[in-house]
Amino acid sequence: MTTWTTRRQLLKGAGVLAAAAAAAPILSACQQTPTTPKAGSGKVIVMTDPNEFNDNDRKTLEDATKLKIEIVPSDLTRLYAMYAAGNPPDVFRVQAAGVPQYISRKMVKNLQPYFANSKLLKPDDLAPANNYYKWDGKAVGKGDLYGMVKDWSPDYTLFAYTKAFDDAAVKLPSDSTPLTYDELRALANKVNRKTGGKRVYWGFVHSNNDQWIDRTAMNMLAEKGQTLYAADFSKLNISGNPEALKVIRFLYDLAADGVQQTPTDPSPNWMGADFNNGQVAILQYGYWFSAMAESDVTKGKTVFLPAPTWSGVRRDPTMTATGWVVSAQTKDPDAAWAVFEQYMGGKPALDRAQSGWGVPGLKSLYKEMPQQSAFQKQVQKVLQGELSNADFVLQFNPYLSEQAFSTSWIKNLEPALKGSITFDKFVQNVETEVNAAIVDGKRIVGN
Amino acid sequence: MTGATRALERPMPRIAPWRRRGLRRAITFYVLISPWLIGFVLLAAIPLVMAFVMSLSNYDGLNLEYVRLVGLENYVRAFSDPDAQHALGRTLLLMAVVVPLSLTLQLALALMVNQSIRFTSLFRTIFYLPYVIPVVAAAWVWKIFVDPTGGLLNALLGVAGAEVNVRWLVEYPMVVLASLTIWGAAGGGMVVFLAGLQGIPAEYREAAMIDGANRLQVTRHITLPLLSPVIFFNLVTGIIATLQILVQPMLLAPGILGLSPGTVPPSDNYLYAVHAYLEIFVKQLFGYGSALLWLLFAVVLALTLVLFKTSRRWVFYGIEP
Repeated sequence: MTTWTTRRQLLKGAGVLAAAAAAAPILSACQQTPTTPKAGSGKVIVMTDPNEFNDNDRKTLEDATKLKIEIVPSDLTRLYAMYAAGNPPDVFRVQAAGVPQYISRKMVKNLQPYFANSKLLKPDDLAPANNYYKWDGKAVGKGDLYGMVKDWSPDYTLFAYTKAFDDAAVKLPSDSTPLTYDELRALANKVNRKTGGKRVYWGFVHSNNDQWIDRTAMNMLAEKGQTLYAADFSKLNISGNPEALKVIRFLYDLAADGVQQTPTDPSPNWMGADFNNGQVAILQYGYWFSAMAESDVTKGKTVFLPAPTWSGVRRDPTMTATGWVVSAQTKDPDAAWAVFEQYMGGKPALDRAQSGWGVPGLKSLYKEMPQQSAFQKQVQKVLQGELSNADFVLQFNPYLSEQAFSTSWIKNLEPALKGSITFDKFVQNVETEVNAAIVDGKRIVGN
Repeated sequence: MTGATRALERPMPRIAPWRRRGLRRAITFYVLISPWLIGFVLLAAIPLVMAFVMSLSNYDGLNLEYVRLVGLENYVRAFSDPDAQHALGRTLLLMAVVVPLSLTLQLALALMVNQSIRFTSLFRTIFYLPYVIPVVAAAWVWKIFVDPTGGLLNALLGVAGAEVNVRWLVEYPMVVLASLTIWGAAGGGMVVFLAGLQGIPAEYREAAMIDGANRLQVTRHITLPLLSPVIFFNLVTGIIATLQILVQPMLLAPGILGLSPGTVPPSDNYLYAVHAYLEIFVKQLFGYGSALLWLLFAVVLALTLVLFKTSRRWVFYGIEP
């Protein structure tokens, strides 16, 4: 007797198998397992942004350390996957917002003993932004060093596109006297322009399209000695803190003014490219952007301005502090440190300083920043004033991931701007969601 | 004569020819499907089991030191998560819109390219092309296409005279997402329908037409019933694919980050898989995210079983060999 598979059975089987595989693609994404060298293999895996680490850097570091370096492109999802698989990279790129969390979860190595013995990276020579890599379990900026910035910028400075001001017949702000945020908002509304429903200039674009909105709010609040979170980071407190509510209302109103890119008025591009295209009148970005601010469109029409103040107190720290850390699970910490040390204090560090893509992580390299062109000289003049106001840190929450606040903000801003929810409900939603994430984060680390 | 010799002299048991053939067929079958089966076990079955275990824990994806089992807590949480409920609702709505429109378009395209007309192959290629374009490229093309400032869609709509400034991704994000999904899937479904159409013996249609049936009646009473197994297959796979959509809404969201934890699609396109992704990679709730995905699996399975149950009434296997 021969049994044939009927078409019905085949379709049935295909359907069931397809259903069984329904959730697999997303879940299996968590199972990628890049290779990690065995101890003493002489290979160091570095997860970093290939745009910041070219082949010359790799060769220079390999020559200096006699180690083989494998580069894995920076990708948070992949980093999690590598940790999940028990094979994290030996060294990886981070931003300040993630550092307390990584340290409190024991993911990164305490580098204090290495710094103490380093001939290249001396504690007295470290730029203030490196304080973001200190965490004593209670506050950012205190305790041992767990990493270092590759470079940094006072990040609240402004770039103005002079043509937008000329077109609006508005006087360009001074590059020696900082604006207040209220003045900035008024100015943004004056230079903001749409013609026939099409965007000509965004008045004021900031916070990396709201990805860093919490960082902006934290720095404004810090002028008054306040924070977004409770002292023990157990709670986001906006509605119970009049000053925090005022700051959040200001940032919300800026979005509602229509002077910036929002979920209801997005740009298909990133804000730096929009500035280069001559579509942004005032852009809030750090010194690093000066290396690319002058495009064919904006060349000769770009001015660097000091950071605005919320209440008259000058504060212009970095909000990113992009740098490197060494994984606590590295199988060869000495090799990882050797690569780290050379990258931060060797020739690659000098090359970075001379490129103008950020203030060096070592004060001794400050003098290497470029100041040839008229624009570079103007930038340096403003920057020198800002550096004296940069020795601060933002208190990032160790129980939250880098995007937890901004994701909630963006998600709720859309219905708020569309009128589906009120401002009060917007604040309540953000508070509820972020506080729930804090509770989850605390539970994970057993607090 | 020793026992061993007796054993040698014992006649070999006769194996029925059908059994030998059956064994050969079974071996051939398993050898042929083994590459897929091994892949399924390693890349789907094992991750599914691991994800289930993960769904019973508080795993954060970063450090095993803090992992502990939490029982069904993550599943209970999902039922009181307003974002999960909103996302599921949007996903089911998208499915209800996309699947019927997709099937209709795919069938219409298949009927068109099944005609004996000139340039049929060219049309088949053109219609199939979107199916092979990588989703990232397709989404970017659509994002530029519907851009309010420089996009082609508003320009085309404005040809009549009045300037059109519709912000498609803001005002009608789900329309764009549904269009992208339907457009992207059209070619694949068309090919399956085409294969089904070409498997229907021409004599059936000819006999009906000789009996006086018009084109509509032939389609209604001959083509569609005989095509119903293919319709059923495309329906099941279409539903499953729509329920899993993750990448497209992330790529269509404001900003340039694409499928990354910093991206938040607009509320209308906040789908279930997006919510699970953000819970996993933004809030680092790998356990909860896995529970959400297992619940999605249960929904998919339930819908599939319901469809199979109803299929007995409308799927016709009349030309089964």
